[in-house]
Amino acid sequence: MNAFLWAGTALVALELPLLLLATRAPRLDALVAVEAGASIWTLALVLLSQGFHRSAYTVLGLAAAVLSFAGSMVFVRFFERELDP
Amino acid sequence: MRTAAVDVLLAVTVASEALCVLGVFAGATVYDRLHYAGATTSVPPFLVFLAILLKQPHPYTNPVWNALFVAVALFFLNGVLTHAIARVARQREANDLEL
Repeated sequence: MNAFLWAGTALVALELPLLLLATRAPRLDALVAVEAGASIWTLALVLLSQGFHRSAYTVLGLAAAVLSFAGSMVFVRFFERELDP
Repeated sequence: MRTAAVDVLLAVTVASEALCVLGVFAGATVYDRLHYAGATTSVPPFLVFLAILLKQPHPYTNPVWNALFVAVALFFLNGVLTHAIARVARQREANDLEL
C-alpha cells in the first residue's frame, strides 16, 4: 500500500455517508449529495490509478468529471420542468 | 523530501474532503449543503494534481496532464452545477414546491 492507495481508499469510504444521505434526504438535498459524491469519486479514481501505477486509467477520472456533471444537470432539468405550467 | 510532501498533500486532501462530507451530511438546508458540496472541488483536486506532479520524475507526463485536466474540469463544472442547483432550489421555494 502506498500513500495514493490509502488516500483513494479513504475517499471511497467517504462515499458511504453521502450514499446514505442520497437515499434518505429530500430530493434536492439528495442531488447535492450526489454532486459531492461524484466529485469525490472522480478524485478517488485519479488517486487509485496513480496508486496502482496504471497511469492510463487517470483518463477515467476525466471522463467521470464530465459525465457526472452531465448526469446531474439532467436531474436539475427535471426539477426545472416541474416548475413549467 | 518529495515523498513527505506528497504524503502531506494527500493527507490534507482527505482531511478537507472529510470536512466537506461532514458539512454536506450535517447541513441544515440545501443551501448549507451546497456550500460544502461546492468546496469539494475548490482546493482538493489541485492538491491531488500537485501530489502527482511531485511523484512523477518528469513534469510533462500523461498522469500529470490528466490530473491537471481533472482538477480544472471539476473546478469549473462543479461551480456551474452548484449554481444550477441553487437556482432551481430558489425557484421551487418561490413557487411553494417541495424541495
